[in-house]
Amino acid sequence: MLIASSGITNVGLKRGSNEDCYSTEDSLGLYVVADGMGGHQAGEVASRIAVELINKSFRRWVEQEAYEHELFGYPDNSVTIHGNYLLSSIRLANRVVYEMALEHEQYQGMGTTVATLLITPSRIIAANVGDSRIYMVRDGHIERLSKDHTIVAEQVEMGVMTEEEASSAPLKHVLTRNLGSAENVEPEIFEIEPSNDDRLIICSDGLTDLVSDREILEMTQDVEDPENLCNKFVEKVLKRGAHDNTTVVSVFLTDMKKKTVNPLSRIGLPLAEGIGNIQKVIKKFKS
Amino acid sequence: MPRLILTFNKQVIKEYPFLKDSITIGRNDDNGIIIDNLAVSSYHAKIDKVGSDYIVTDLQSTNGTFVNDQKVVSHKLSHGDNIIVGKHVILFVAAEKGTEAEATDQKEKLDKTMMLDTAKQKELLAKQQVTPKVPKPLEKIGVLSFINGSELGEIELKKKLTRIGKGDASEIKLSGMFMGSTAATISKRPSGYTITFAGGKTKLKVNGEVVKDSVALKDFDTIELGSHRFQFYQKEVKPD
Repeated sequence: MLIASSGITNVGLKRGSNEDCYSTEDSLGLYVVADGMGGHQAGEVASRIAVELINKSFRRWVEQEAYEHELFGYPDNSVTIHGNYLLSSIRLANRVVYEMALEHEQYQGMGTTVATLLITPSRIIAANVGDSRIYMVRDGHIERLSKDHTIVAEQVEMGVMTEEEASSAPLKHVLTRNLGSAENVEPEIFEIEPSNDDRLIICSDGLTDLVSDREILEMTQDVEDPENLCNKFVEKVLKRGAHDNTTVVSVFLTDMKKKTVNPLSRIGLPLAEGIGNIQKVIKKFKS
Repeated sequence: MPRLILTFNKQVIKEYPFLKDSITIGRNDDNGIIIDNLAVSSYHAKIDKVGSDYIVTDLQSTNGTFVNDQKVVSHKLSHGDNIIVGKHVILFVAAEKGTEAEATDQKEKLDKTMMLDTAKQKELLAKQQVTPKVPKPLEKIGVLSFINGSELGEIELKKKLTRIGKGDASEIKLSGMFMGSTAATISKRPSGYTITFAGGKTKLKVNGEVVKDSVALKDFDTIELGSHRFQFYQKEVKPD
């Protein structure tokens, strides 16, 4: 399995500062987006600390091949050990941000969303707190691998409100769960088996406020590489007024087997093999 | 036109446009905003339009009326004020009038992501000695029920991802000459349970239809993998 990834963050047109933060760590297969909140730069602090700490503790546990009982908080038996590394990293980051906010007056009330994605050879693991989202594009369909922790999303889940009503509801940005506002947090987590050519998008609400799921699907299918996709998303939100910070991380999975196939196979495998043989003969001849 | 948004336990229940000059809040049927809860008095409070202002008045209710964290008898409302009546919170959303700048300012406030401060609310409720009886929604868990006399019986899908097949890595082991090492996977996703064909020469069928990639599972779908047949359904379990 080959992973290609790219990330971008943009302050937008209305805000004075960027409170979003992200990381793309291909060596771990770990990708994180955080959208901070809280005045006096506290939002920036919260999102940066969350991203750094999640990476740091996750790396440590993976390298030590830590056992479940060594992790932070109770192990979740419904997910793999890697899923538990991810959950614990988020819980630990939550505790640190929460305690910083308690101790320092200037950080009072700070918090952040986090959306995290982990790619292993056998799993795609998605965990989140707040309203930053994780999407998967597979076989021409788009699917969310995260759950929004907002009043409005809970209403939709209960069937009280439709998706359409939700997108224009006045309380759509009110979170019911975030990282840093309580001593403990329980992230949402999902695990699925990876498949060839899966494309994954992690983003802050700066994107999803202005670009619909359908548009995200179409734009994701339209491009060849993740960097290009990130740039296109930012261009789109800027065109639409970009009232918030926007952050996007794109992760494209491709099958190793496909990549190692002779590029000449496009003109037919037998022909490609034929040419390959001729090249070998020429090489021999030259040496 | 201003609006009143009635919420309970962080859930929006209903939105009321402020159409008349006065609206009453209470447990009785003839109130403008009816809240059927014992913590709320028959006629608990009212809101009046006075000129361009809106005033909330407590109607000598048993448990009192709060605006944000202050107990009030009468209070001029501003945009974003929380009127707390028993265990319910009514958000006052002012009309988008006045200067352009004011209107945008209000909109931007709502655009900004914020965290609901429940601690203060809890504190207020504790003072009122009202025991909340909020039923926690039951979690649903998927179950596979084997149909044709298999000794497997019923299997609860406790993992977020369950693999079915012949191989050792599969959580549910099924025999069969052409059964894939992992023949299919079932994952619990935000949208619900999904079954995915994973490999091998044994076909995966859901309700008789061959599945080559993924399909969402509904209650009482019949799944077939070779000679194995089982039914999917969800049952409610108490959260841990």
